[in-house]
Amino acid sequence: MYAIQTKKLTKKYKSKTAVSELDLTVNEGELFALLGVNGAGKTTTIRMLACLSKPTSGECSVCGFDCLSQSDEVKKLIGISPQDTAVAENLTVLENLKLICGIYGYSPENTSEKITKMTKLFKLDEVLNSRAKTLSGGWKRKLSIAMALICEPKVLFLDEPTLGLDVLARRELWKVVESLKGKITMVLTTHYMEEAEQLSDRIAIMIDGSVAALGTLPELEQQSGETGLENVFVRIAEDFGKGASDE
Amino acid sequence: MNKIKAFSVRNFKEIIRDPLSYIFCLGFPLVMLVIMTLVNDSIPPEAGMTIFRIDNLAGGIAVFGLTFLMLFVCLTVTKDRSGAFLTRLYATPMRSGDFIAGYILPTALLALIQILITLIASFIVSLITGIKLDPVGMFLALLSLIPAVILMISFGLLFGTLFSEKAAPGLCSIVISLASFLGGVWFDAESTGGVLFDICKVLPFWHAVKAARMACAMDLNGLFPHLLITAAYAIVFITTAIVVFKQKMKADNQ
Repeated sequence: MYAIQTKKLTKKYKSKTAVSELDLTVNEGELFALLGVNGAGKTTTIRMLACLSKPTSGECSVCGFDCLSQSDEVKKLIGISPQDTAVAENLTVLENLKLICGIYGYSPENTSEKITKMTKLFKLDEVLNSRAKTLSGGWKRKLSIAMALICEPKVLFLDEPTLGLDVLARRELWKVVESLKGKITMVLTTHYMEEAEQLSDRIAIMIDGSVAALGTLPELEQQSGETGLENVFVRIAEDFGKGASDE
Repeated sequence: MNKIKAFSVRNFKEIIRDPLSYIFCLGFPLVMLVIMTLVNDSIPPEAGMTIFRIDNLAGGIAVFGLTFLMLFVCLTVTKDRSGAFLTRLYATPMRSGDFIAGYILPTALLALIQILITLIASFIVSLITGIKLDPVGMFLALLSLIPAVILMISFGLLFGTLFSEKAAPGLCSIVISLASFLGGVWFDAESTGGVLFDICKVLPFWHAVKAARMACAMDLNGLFPHLLITAAYAIVFITTAIVVFKQKMKADNQ
């Protein structure tokens, strides 16, 4: 069973097609990167997989559960760290983590255990009692991902997790993501080529709502005849654009 | 229940940790209570104007304070909607009913605390000014204000759901002004009469204030018609707010 599967997944907003007939499979424990320019359809794809948006047509499933008809089951299995830092600004780091544990109905003992685990993983000790609004961008991102992870999801969606972070904060987050590899399935959207290159098992390059190329980095390099993900991306985007204008 | 409790605790803390909520929801109404008591002292008895006497003022100020709570409910909802916080929660097993209860319950508690403080302050003023306020009547006033609490929370929820972070507070300010003016908090609507009084009678604010005043005066016969009208408005608006919130949540997830 795939952790994620989409079949002809399509999302249209009036005349604009945000995602077009997407066929994807993501294996359990895989870190799958969705790469693309703004408006390529990465976030829309994640929103449909996280049951935040209904597909116009096609199917998508998470761990065998249909995102449309079994959304309650899907929601129990996923965690999401949205593009903007989605934290309760007036709550402390500890209270934000407790909030999520409360929503998932964990017992006080279980909550305490999970908070200790997240605190250790993200080194949150020094900011545990600080209000979220006083945190730097890096700490907020860490908290946001910790909130997504605390419910121990089978599938974690990371929507541009390092956007706007300085290089040190980004590298620190990478370490955390790398430490999770193989343990849970992760879908990462990013603009940063080196991030996708460094972290992902497989990469899908999305252009205009479609997957223009898909594979491991060596496979993509072979397909495009370029080396390095940035060159691969540019070549594939150019070829895709040319193909579209020829049609 | 766990989901509602967790979200309610968050919303409760979100409001009480905003220093502005103390200034607007408690400070301002209490300052107005003192100022209007001083104004009342300056009015000669032969003028026969009792609108600012503490037994009339207490209920009016309590409703006035609730209008600011409406503003804070509205701000909490719009802030959650404008950021990605609700997006995160939409992806959890929380349902629309959990969100609605999570917004209503803590603010209802805050409203009751706010009314209690206003009534205690009014009682202290009554002791100083020598105008008798019956503690039983004040307890009745607290109960009589429950429909007004629900009404103001529904306005906050409704505006917060329908309008943006920029538009909603402006709209709330209009309701605050309307509620205090057409509620007859600052003038005697009945004595004024005419079209203005007709408008006051059509809207729920005057009835909410009047119910609280009647309760303070232990006039149960006078209390019930106003209480029923306010309760009817509260039921209509809370139902509308719930339906609109559910629809908006559904639309956000389209």
